[in-house]
Amino acid sequence: MSEDVENNEELERRLRSALRAVDPGEGFAPRVLARIAAEPAHATRPARAGAVASWLAFGLAACVVLAVLLAHEWQARRLEQGREARRQLIEALRVTDEKLDLAYRAVNTHGSGAPAEHSGV
Amino acid sequence: MKVSYSKWRWLLAPVAALTASAALAAPAALLNLPDFDALAGKATESVNISLDTSLLGLAAGFLDSSKPEDQATRELIAGLKGIYVRSFTFDEDFAYPAAQVELVRKQLAAPGWQRLVQTISTRDRTRVDIYVSVDRGIANGLAIIASEPRQFTIVNIVGSIDLAKLHRLEGKLGVPKLDLPAEGKDGKPEK
Repeated sequence: MSEDVENNEELERRLRSALRAVDPGEGFAPRVLARIAAEPAHATRPARAGAVASWLAFGLAACVVLAVLLAHEWQARRLEQGREARRQLIEALRVTDEKLDLAYRAVNTHGSGAPAEHSGV
Repeated sequence: MKVSYSKWRWLLAPVAALTASAALAAPAALLNLPDFDALAGKATESVNISLDTSLLGLAAGFLDSSKPEDQATRELIAGLKGIYVRSFTFDEDFAYPAAQVELVRKQLAAPGWQRLVQTISTRDRTRVDIYVSVDRGIANGLAIIASEPRQFTIVNIVGSIDLAKLHRLEGKLGVPKLDLPAEGKDGKPEK
């Protein structure tokens, strides 16, 4: 029992010795500040975040530009298709009218008594 | 001097008669037109137009309502579901196979199709057949087969088309106006 008490006192003594206050001496604070200033790790984190933000902005801008280009391309293609459809429509109606005219002329000629014409309505 | 627009009366009257006729079995107003791919190579000019409902709608969107002829065209195609044209011009007489034309003609023998007009000119060697498709008393399609020595044309219009409106567009679609006699007040040609 007394042996345990002795061990505890010894441990306590060693701890007090190890944890005693030590004066860091003059210039401790400037040294710490200088070391903090020189530490590169502190600057890395904000720089990396800035790069990520830049890439995100670039990606977003690229997406917007791509979307605008695609919309423009779609619009141009739609315009071309519409103009072509309009041209074909006019052409189709023109051909239709032309052939109706052909029939009309034949009927008209027949009506006027020209020979070698046959028509039935 | 008033230019006559009544020249389609000869065609409109039978259309009206057919429209008022008894109901017939529903026909397929859309014809199955051959490709005529082989002919396109031999023809000096070829027209191959297939405008279905969506393309007609697209085309209508590109018609300028502020222009009278565009507005008239828009009204003309309002009831249409499709326009299909095959036309080939050759530099020699009858270079096209009559069999393929007959193939289309056979489709027009189906119930519902009525031949309105057939004109055969032995002098000009031309033949024009005009058919109308009638469904329940309503004309819902038109087909024209025109055979000329150096050209043959097939037109298939699905839907109801106003021929009088089409005629009013004459001269505005690139078709030169015919020198028709002007009508007097009594409807007879002026001298």
